[in-house]
Amino acid sequence: MFELRNVSFSYSGHTDGGLRSISLRIPNGECVLLCGRSGCGKTTVTRLINGLIPNFYPGTLEGEVLLDGKPIAETPMYQIADRVGSVFQNPRTQFFNVDTDSEIAFGIENKALPPIELSRRVKLTSKELGIEGLQNRNIFQLSGGEKQKIAFASVYAMNPDVYLLDEPSSNLDMASIRALGDYVRLIKSQGKTILIAEHRLYYLMEVADRIVYLEQGEIAGSYTPREFCKLSGAERRKMGLRAIDLREELPECPATPQSGLTLELKDVSLFHKKRIILEHISLKAGQGEVIGVAGCNGAGKTTFSRALCGLHKECSGSFLWNDEPMNHKKRLRLSYLVMQDVNYQLFAESVEAECTFGIKNPDRELTKQTMEELGLLSFRKRHPNTLSGGQKQRVAAAVSLISGKELLIFDEPTSGLDYDSMAQVGGLIRKLAALGKIIFVVTHDYEFICRTCTRVLHFNSGKMQDDFLVSTENETKLRNLFSIDP
Amino acid sequence: MMGQNQILPLWLDPRTKILLLLLCVLSAMAAPSLQYEFLLVAGIGILGILCGKWRYALKGMVFYAMVYLFTVWAMNSMTGTLRNMFVAFLGLFHKVFPCGMLSGIVISTTKVSEFLSAMNHIHAPKKLIIPLAVMLRYIPTIGEDWRYIKDAMRMRDVSPSFKGFITNPGITIDCVYVPLMMAASKAADELSVAAVTRGIENPNPRTCLIQIRLGAGDAFTTLCFAVFFLAGMYLKEVG
Repeated sequence: MFELRNVSFSYSGHTDGGLRSISLRIPNGECVLLCGRSGCGKTTVTRLINGLIPNFYPGTLEGEVLLDGKPIAETPMYQIADRVGSVFQNPRTQFFNVDTDSEIAFGIENKALPPIELSRRVKLTSKELGIEGLQNRNIFQLSGGEKQKIAFASVYAMNPDVYLLDEPSSNLDMASIRALGDYVRLIKSQGKTILIAEHRLYYLMEVADRIVYLEQGEIAGSYTPREFCKLSGAERRKMGLRAIDLREELPECPATPQSGLTLELKDVSLFHKKRIILEHISLKAGQGEVIGVAGCNGAGKTTFSRALCGLHKECSGSFLWNDEPMNHKKRLRLSYLVMQDVNYQLFAESVEAECTFGIKNPDRELTKQTMEELGLLSFRKRHPNTLSGGQKQRVAAAVSLISGKELLIFDEPTSGLDYDSMAQVGGLIRKLAALGKIIFVVTHDYEFICRTCTRVLHFNSGKMQDDFLVSTENETKLRNLFSIDP
Repeated sequence: MMGQNQILPLWLDPRTKILLLLLCVLSAMAAPSLQYEFLLVAGIGILGILCGKWRYALKGMVFYAMVYLFTVWAMNSMTGTLRNMFVAFLGLFHKVFPCGMLSGIVISTTKVSEFLSAMNHIHAPKKLIIPLAVMLRYIPTIGEDWRYIKDAMRMRDVSPSFKGFITNPGITIDCVYVPLMMAASKAADELSVAAVTRGIENPNPRTCLIQIRLGAGDAFTTLCFAVFFLAGMYLKEVG
């Protein structure tokens, strides 16, 4: 059992994510879901329990955090690790080994279990979590979903009493989220205590015993799942929360002005090191369309978007822009990819400098106008790295507008976002579409597709399986694509 | 690329690897002649091939052979200041290259778990081991980061090539340095968090799924490098 007694915390150097007089008691075997807007302090609560606060993140801490009656602040990290297992958001940077077996064993190796016991536990863990197929593999070659399974397995092998999951589904596709939901059910059936901080709520509705809503570092509500499901859509949105039940999300079908310039793909096939990734893709897209690109992890969505903007060169077939063929160089000049991790594409020391970075004779007027349109004018002097994720995305979008790109591709723009930020990204994308851009959005986010996209492409097993408009008529198709039960 | 299934002709204990690195540094410092250094690089190349890094080893050897030939040519046919300049630069290069090449082989063939286990055997302090392990683990992610950064640069019309660097050094450095630093500091934090929450700080001696032990291969390789180093010392005395 663990307990927070009147805990307040503020990070040194940040104002975000602090907590104000939180009291929370979680008895053994309970599964608690923490939700709330980004920066509301969900993650901070998990850090208090796994000891990262105050051992790793410095700040001012008041009140008591107790694990079985013992204060956590006085317990060494490795002893907490024995009792509390943590799974984090980013699968890329939470594994320590290069091969899956050693990674699953990492925690129990630290526990200094005898070698025979180590291999027994690794085998048992793989069996119980159904990941025998991932044994003995190079982690760098796994998909995000598979990496997250290994991260979970490594904690599972340690057999802790308490599991903390900090936004574990942020980077996962629908199938992997379902698998994650199964894992949570499994550990719950074993009587473990579970605390999950999450934006995606729907996959936990059946398993959570209690849902705690945080607002600006305070507990603003505590619900049973039944009470929680009774919240109306409007109330939920006002709280900044994502969908509770995906079945209630309906395609909003924004009008699609189809005119002007067009992009056409004729029998395009993509290869990677001579291996076929996707073949025979033909499609036409017009200005103002927002096209969702869906499919499970590893279906070739990333290769497709990189090929579309001329970054991936191994392809056959033709790309036409207004009936004129474009080679990869021309596509590169015409298009812009907003990456999932936008940090890779921000280089300058201020937002303003970023907007004109690398352009020889920047158009001052256009720059100012674009910044104003995207609501960046007030941060023009700030360093891009001090902005929030959504603001960084807007900077990247501004860059694409100023350099005159016509084709914009967003890679997973809503991963790990709360409702407000997702709605903002949606607003941004619609605005760009209204400016006459053709937009592709690679995403796993059903709620987002319903709200933002006009059309969906589905990639699976090397082919474009489907291409349809997001409309009420196609609702069943869309649901099937995301395997949402009727 | 990874091979714990693939049977390699030679598997070395991380402790041996550290010793080899030390011997390599000493040999390079004591090197009595250019031929001696050439032999040293050849030896490292063979070691690399035996450890399964044949592509890397061959590239290194071919590159070194070219520089070697150039050095011989420069020593014989250049004159004056230019010769002095080149000889000074190349002298440094010949000392550093073998150590760099061996480090590359050592880092790419050592698993983090093996490294941790070996460091435990020699009772190295945790405060030293953990940052080193994070570093060892971070190195392969640089490759991934670099792919993203290259894409980002191309979209901004900055060429991620040597030519681009020469024509536009300022912008190129910004493009590589800024995102790489951001990614590195974030990754290092997240990796450390993932390690401490799984009890890496446990003072008890850590066990390892893959048993590491010193074997005949370790003894033989160390012997080769030691003899080579002593031979170098001897030649230097005599010469």
